[in-house]
Amino acid sequence: MVLKRLPVAALLVFLALPLRPGASDPGRYFVLDNGLRVFLYEKRDLPLLHVVTGFGLGSKNETDDTSGFVHLLEHCILFRSTAERSGARVGADIRRHGAYFNASTGQDLSVFEISLPSEHAAFALRNQKDILFGLDLSPAELEAEKEVILEEFNQMEDDPDRSAAGQVLQELFAGHPYGRSIYGRREVIAAATVDGLLGFYGKFFAADNAAMAVVGDFVTADMEKLVREVFGSLPRTGFAAEPIPMAAPLKKGSVLRFERDVRDGYLYLAFSAPDYNHADRYAMSVLVEALGRGVNPLLSARLQGSRDTVQRVSMAYLAFKSGGAAVVSIKADPSDLPAVERAAVAFLKRAHDESYSKKDFISPEAEMAAFDFLESAKNQIRFASGQAEESGLQLAGSIVRHMLLNTREKPGRYLDEIGRVDSGDLRRAASKYLSRTEFAGVSVVPLKEGKK
Amino acid sequence: MSGRSGGVARRSALVLSLLLLAAAMRPGGAAPLAGADGPEKTVLKSGIPCIYHKDGSSPVTVVGLVVPGGKSAVPLGLDGLAAMTTRLALEIPDEGKVRDLMAQATRMSFVCLEDHSVILIECLSENLEEALRVAGKIIQDPLISGLRVGRAKELMRLYGRAEEDDAGTVAHNAVLSRYFSGDGYGSALYGTEESLKAIGRKEVLEFFKSRFTAASVFFTVVSDLEPAPVRGLLEKYFSALPKGDALSSPIVSPAIPAENVIRLPRDTKQTFVGRAYALPAPEPGEYAKGVLAEVLIGRGPGSRLWGLRADERLAYNVGANLTWTKGAGILGVFLETENAKSIRASEALDRELDELRAGGIAAGELEATKVMAKAGLLRSIELKSGRARLLSGFEILGLGFDHLPRLFAAIDAVGLDDLNAYLRTVLAPERAVVITVGPEGAAVR
Repeated sequence: MVLKRLPVAALLVFLALPLRPGASDPGRYFVLDNGLRVFLYEKRDLPLLHVVTGFGLGSKNETDDTSGFVHLLEHCILFRSTAERSGARVGADIRRHGAYFNASTGQDLSVFEISLPSEHAAFALRNQKDILFGLDLSPAELEAEKEVILEEFNQMEDDPDRSAAGQVLQELFAGHPYGRSIYGRREVIAAATVDGLLGFYGKFFAADNAAMAVVGDFVTADMEKLVREVFGSLPRTGFAAEPIPMAAPLKKGSVLRFERDVRDGYLYLAFSAPDYNHADRYAMSVLVEALGRGVNPLLSARLQGSRDTVQRVSMAYLAFKSGGAAVVSIKADPSDLPAVERAAVAFLKRAHDESYSKKDFISPEAEMAAFDFLESAKNQIRFASGQAEESGLQLAGSIVRHMLLNTREKPGRYLDEIGRVDSGDLRRAASKYLSRTEFAGVSVVPLKEGKK
Repeated sequence: MSGRSGGVARRSALVLSLLLLAAAMRPGGAAPLAGADGPEKTVLKSGIPCIYHKDGSSPVTVVGLVVPGGKSAVPLGLDGLAAMTTRLALEIPDEGKVRDLMAQATRMSFVCLEDHSVILIECLSENLEEALRVAGKIIQDPLISGLRVGRAKELMRLYGRAEEDDAGTVAHNAVLSRYFSGDGYGSALYGTEESLKAIGRKEVLEFFKSRFTAASVFFTVVSDLEPAPVRGLLEKYFSALPKGDALSSPIVSPAIPAENVIRLPRDTKQTFVGRAYALPAPEPGEYAKGVLAEVLIGRGPGSRLWGLRADERLAYNVGANLTWTKGAGILGVFLETENAKSIRASEALDRELDELRAGGIAAGELEATKVMAKAGLLRSIELKSGRARLLSGFEILGLGFDHLPRLFAAIDAVGLDDLNAYLRTVLAPERAVVITVGPEGAAVR
């Protein structure tokens, strides 16, 4: 296992964690005999503890017959019974300890989090071990949770942003495991049985398919002892991850249009992008920041500067283990949405011609007058990194994500890598990922009058 | 992209002495007092008060310029004036200034609330002086031209229309409008077609000149930097605000509406089913009871509404939210359900609330609710931006920027009989506003 050899310092610096002057031993990485990867990080500004546990399990691991099982399991694990406690008891215990707990399902990973006053550290670890590795579902509980899931389907479909964001990724990755809906298919959820679901659960919810980060107000040595005591008894299962092929660029793009009872127009465009371990990831991160995030980025400036109908423009870069996506999201007057789409696509297709840095200009006058989008984007990333240090859950989530997605032995320090990106790198990334490839699009527009 | 199971908890609160907070979290902890690690309030040479909390958790500084007034200060018929004026105060007059801000990743945003507006400046602390220099120029001398007012109106229309696509926001706005007869707190945050037509440059300038004064505004700062130099920068770059007069807005209490049923048609797959209740004005004891009621009813697994999701399968999303004004709290409780279940869900929601009102809660549930409420407050102070907004909110409500330790103590002091009596009063069915957002066929009891 590569990460087993990864020194603590490398993990810390990769994540750009706050190594304050004088902070001694702020983090510790170790692997339990059962394969559970653990990172402990002291953050002692508030008496809080945050525990995030991730599994290398996402919608990518589903089939047509299990589509939506990971998300269904996420619900059951959080809210239903274990071998030791009923779901109601779990809920009451959570409340009694003042805990926030939640989970998320993605294409690659399932992530479970709990945050509570640090005096309840032992409860946090024991609770997470119990719900994550001790699920014991009854048929009645499964039926109840299925109905909750179906309600979530309805809610998702009523939410234009959520539905369009999900749909556009399914279109971008059509034919690849990432092309499956995270929420799955209604008919598969409706037909799920306890045996089928627990069989799936038993295969993937294993210590050797998991990583855990504990961030907060504790003494590392004490926390390590507690982690070993609580999780050390879990068995090593010999879990072997199924290989997932790299996602290929989209061969033929399309724009799907959905009508809903909405007032605004919503447009999502998705382009293939580098995966989590790809060398282009840093350039793509900076490019997306320059084009569509932060303060007055290029794409919003162009669109909003020329059209009063555009309300929101943003861009996100999603780096998965076996692929990636650059997603543009636009909210605008629905009557102008087709023109906005044309303008956005035309701009992105020409993004490889942009001058991102002052150094792109030859004459001193032009250099003086130019704005340095490159440096601005790098500063945005520095700012976001700084801001992320405030949230223990966010820190723990980033650590877990890195432990599960990284395959490089020496990934380098994230902010250093970002700092090395130059204007040429941005143009090359724009050319490779935005200009020369097809894209997937999804728009959500108001119902026609007669349909209301 | 990911699906999330929760909606389990939201963040909502404040700060003070972190060490004492920690003590307050524990049973038998000493009553928290303002300590050396807590926020402090001074008055700058410019006459502007400055609440400052030093926090080394990140190399980021957040400066909030708090402008009292908000929706409550909007004259009748000029809905949207407070939000539009605050937005125009951020209008950047020349490209050079935009570039200065962009280059340093400095962010400026605004929020307009019931009793105040906040302009938030967030930056890497190393860039604070430049951020304040630029922000000071923009905010103190905004370019409020007829053209820019026209453009701001278009933005208000866009913001307003965006809210229409979220059932929860639509319901919240409708409830406030009903409680306050469409005036002040009940006005449309981003205006109506009629009010936007009625607002001109003159109205915006008058509002700006009367509200953006040294006598009215105050700063809230959360930073890893030492306070003295930052205060110096605020004095240096925000010295041009006119002294003005400290304006106070009238404290308006909600009126229980005679017509208490609101139905808003939407062609959606789910129906939003909600109830709203007016709570007493936020004096410390009432504020604590309001927080407890919100957590008890609708915050997370084990809350009173949770059974409607987990056991009765009536919803994915159940919850409660609490909005404070100087005159009252407005507690909203809700679920979102499949249209076919909306009648049953509506009846189940009323049944839960009836049972809570009639049967009250037991000592164990009260203790768990207190622990949950205090832990939620503690979590809410992790992020500097949220903390700045919340410190400002306490100050605006008259509770004081240093209210958090007192709030912990007030929560601890709420007795079982006291809370049960409170619930019986505030949740009385005749006081409820009933709201449904969904298809015409969806019905309420």
